[in-house]
Amino acid sequence: MHLFDSVSGLKRTPMTVVERWLNQLRYRVTSPQFIVSVLLLVVLVYLVLVPLYGLFDRTLIWEQKDARISREIEVGQFTLFHWKNVLSGRLANAFLFEPLVNTLITGSVAAVIALLLGGVLSWFVTRTDMPGRALLKTVLTVPFIIPSFAIALAWEIFFRNPNIGGPPGFFQVILGFPPPEWLSYGPIPIIITMVIHFFPFALLLVSGALATIDTQLEESAELLGASRWTILRKITFPIVTPAFMAAFTLTFGRTIGTFALPFFLGTPVRYHTLSTMLYSSLNMGFEPIAYILGILLIAITVLAVYLSSRVVGANLRRFETVGGKGFKGQPTGLGRWRWPSFCLLSTFALITAILPLVILAYQTLMLIDGRYGLDNLTFHFWIGHSDPNIAHGEPGVLHNPIILGATWNSIRLAVISSIIGAFLGLIVAYIVVRNRGSWISTLLDQISFLPFLFPGIAFGAMYLSIFATRQGPIPALYGTFTVLVVISVIKRLPYSVRTGTSAVTQIGQELEEAAEIEGATWFQRIRRIVLPLATAGVVSGLMVMFVGIMRELPLIILLITPKTRVLMTLGFRYAEEDQIQLGNALVLLVTLITIMGELILWWLGKSRLIRLQEKQLE
Amino acid sequence: MRVPIEIRGLTKRFGKVTALDRVNLTIEAGEFLVLLGPSGCGKTTLLRCIAGLERPDEGEILIGERVVFSFRRGIMVPSGKRRVGMVFQSYALWPHMAVYENVGFGLRLQKVPRKEVRERVDLVLKDLAMDGLGDRYPSELSGGQQQRVALARLLATKPPVFLMDEPLSNLDARLRLDMRSELKRLHHDSGVTTVYVTHDQTEAMTMATRVAVMKDGLIQQVGRPQEIYDQPSNVFVAEFVGMPRINMLPAKTVLQDGRPWLEMDDFRLSASWIPPRDRAIVGIRPEDVSISLDPEPNAVEFQVYAVLPSGPELFVQTRRRHTTLVVRETRQLDLQMDQRVWITVDPSAINLYDDTSGVLLTPGEEA
Repeated sequence: MHLFDSVSGLKRTPMTVVERWLNQLRYRVTSPQFIVSVLLLVVLVYLVLVPLYGLFDRTLIWEQKDARISREIEVGQFTLFHWKNVLSGRLANAFLFEPLVNTLITGSVAAVIALLLGGVLSWFVTRTDMPGRALLKTVLTVPFIIPSFAIALAWEIFFRNPNIGGPPGFFQVILGFPPPEWLSYGPIPIIITMVIHFFPFALLLVSGALATIDTQLEESAELLGASRWTILRKITFPIVTPAFMAAFTLTFGRTIGTFALPFFLGTPVRYHTLSTMLYSSLNMGFEPIAYILGILLIAITVLAVYLSSRVVGANLRRFETVGGKGFKGQPTGLGRWRWPSFCLLSTFALITAILPLVILAYQTLMLIDGRYGLDNLTFHFWIGHSDPNIAHGEPGVLHNPIILGATWNSIRLAVISSIIGAFLGLIVAYIVVRNRGSWISTLLDQISFLPFLFPGIAFGAMYLSIFATRQGPIPALYGTFTVLVVISVIKRLPYSVRTGTSAVTQIGQELEEAAEIEGATWFQRIRRIVLPLATAGVVSGLMVMFVGIMRELPLIILLITPKTRVLMTLGFRYAEEDQIQLGNALVLLVTLITIMGELILWWLGKSRLIRLQEKQLE
Repeated sequence: MRVPIEIRGLTKRFGKVTALDRVNLTIEAGEFLVLLGPSGCGKTTLLRCIAGLERPDEGEILIGERVVFSFRRGIMVPSGKRRVGMVFQSYALWPHMAVYENVGFGLRLQKVPRKEVRERVDLVLKDLAMDGLGDRYPSELSGGQQQRVALARLLATKPPVFLMDEPLSNLDARLRLDMRSELKRLHHDSGVTTVYVTHDQTEAMTMATRVAVMKDGLIQQVGRPQEIYDQPSNVFVAEFVGMPRINMLPAKTVLQDGRPWLEMDDFRLSASWIPPRDRAIVGIRPEDVSISLDPEPNAVEFQVYAVLPSGPELFVQTRRRHTTLVVRETRQLDLQMDQRVWITVDPSAINLYDDTSGVLLTPGEEA
């Protein structure tokens, strides 16, 4: 390092070094993008990492309440008592190990069956010449769209068993004898209803994978004389194996987090999963236990995702379709099985998609639960006024201020959260994409992905742990509408950032640079170039979020208070209290709104607006 | 307004790759300087550093008298404040804005009143034969029209520096030729300092007042097109510029009977001078080789390997043992494959290069 630099003849004095540092600092600190990045980082750390820490923290300190279970407490001090209690205490089996085993069993069995079912159906609707394919594909996605607890309730109405309690179900009324208990409640119905709810999810994943197979691989086998069945078995399915494994892990991740299904179909016979036990522990006032279960749920999800990326990653290279052009060949002919297939699948679609809704609807019209005759029908629960003889005076849906209030809350929550969420996701995506490689970009990317690993009810528990009471600078947000918005936005961040990323990437850097050269500030660039062009990409993401938030239950059930009730939680409450007709009515209402949302999405996908924007970005 | 641009010791690294290696360049006010080179040579990086879209790791950039970048002083003026205009290779027209809004964007940012913006935009569009297209959207325009909108956007704010990044490479050949003339005309009328990036040596030679040939982040040579063509400073420049490529042959230098000769393969050519070293690389432009159909004294016999007619001229690839010579012939000769021809080379047109460093050798040089 020479003091005298030949390049510009400027002496490298200490003063110039200081000048350099000062200037660099000034540019950094006044750069709007930098300021926004740091702000975002702070917000995300606060709303994603701090709650995680809070969850752990609350399991490791003594609280006042613990006085009733132990004599050694020192409030506020560190302790491993709670962990020891849950892992090896007298009730460890009931609180931890049984629910854990149950969760794993139901989750994995359901995921496997859902995947097989989804795979087979996917083959039928995307690779064969079965009539009515397009229609069936749409109808078959319905069980995933409707809230899972609609399926649970429908199952219950059908297979209810008076031995456990309550009036008889359809099954008993039609056949004259009650169904076997293992069919009414417990692992079997939980698995079956999970399969019904999740097979469309698996179907979509597998369809995506099948669409990328180069048909020439199959055609060459066909030319060699292989039968259709052999081709399927030895060529098609092995090639989609990595996608299958990924689909399995994704499905498994969702099944272990379900709450409503095991709640209605498991708890009546004390069959608990981690999610229902979490909820019960909180109801019983055992917070640390609940939080430990939450941690466990998160750990399982993380493990599943990690294993999946290891396994899929290793196999992906082996199975990469070299020079594949994807699906372009003839669909497989079914010959004389065309119409029989159609009938089979339609029946299946009817049973899994339409029947539950019909059953639910029918029950909302039953005056007295358990009496299925036509003489028992009434519209009271929809349009009736308060009648002290019916349902403790609870008015019908349209006249019920609580229900109307909850509807308003639901819509408010979904609209506000999806707009904020889409916008937040877009800005985070922008920072991440435009600064790839920098520490801020990497951090933002990783942190915004984390909520993917937190099953809904565990995440709810996390927020409960830090927002229940005021702790230092953190306000007590429990019970407010705000906390619902925040958790809905953050839970969907991985998704909204992904949507935002593809929107921003499509815009391309040069469009912004051209504006920059013309003199636009960062804010002007965002407002006049990025936002208008990203809108198309973001709108469909917004609708998906809207629909998801409308039918959300486990995420917010722990944070709801009577003031902030939404349709789903209110419906849950009614169902819990055996106000079956109103519970069903609300679930149907949510289903209706969800289906309308999906229709709007579909219409948007084909809309002129999107097509025009896409064309202009070519 | 015309300003010079000064680049001193500019270095830019991307990870382990050095895109610019202590580059020094002075761009005179009002000149049309072309940065020419193969992909990855650093020409676009240099342009983007001038524009302020890349932050160099070392060095200084001055536009006019103003330091817009200085590593040692920590100065980095943002591109919006440098008063430069740029045309991107992809045009970068905003698809959600009409032509009128695209072109007027910069003016509106400068808070020019709407009426004046309208007038100025109309004027610019008219100059580029685009009047009436103000309300169209970029997706409704042809490639050539889009390119002109990009130009119009550049011109609208009347910046003192024009930067162009391969603006013609997305056009078809015919349009490209037309636009070259348009751009030259534009430069002449405006007199604005222009920095132009291209990998097409024909484009560089036809449009530039000076060319800077780049390779691997270093400027190999800067000079007027004719200088670069006649006296390329090294083998790389000699081979990069000129279509078809210059003939490059390794040779031994020999002094016989007091006359300089260049011995190559199994023949020799007379030279006008030889450097004080044993070996050199001989550079001969195809147009400096003459073909005779009959034996001539001092001519070397070659055989025709391939004939490539090209309108008004003929390219003949000739061979002798291990040597290939490409000849540019303007006479309409009727040559057959494997026909014997006699080659002479004008000794004064030969360039000699050092056989290790590739640098041009000049008479009067010491060993």
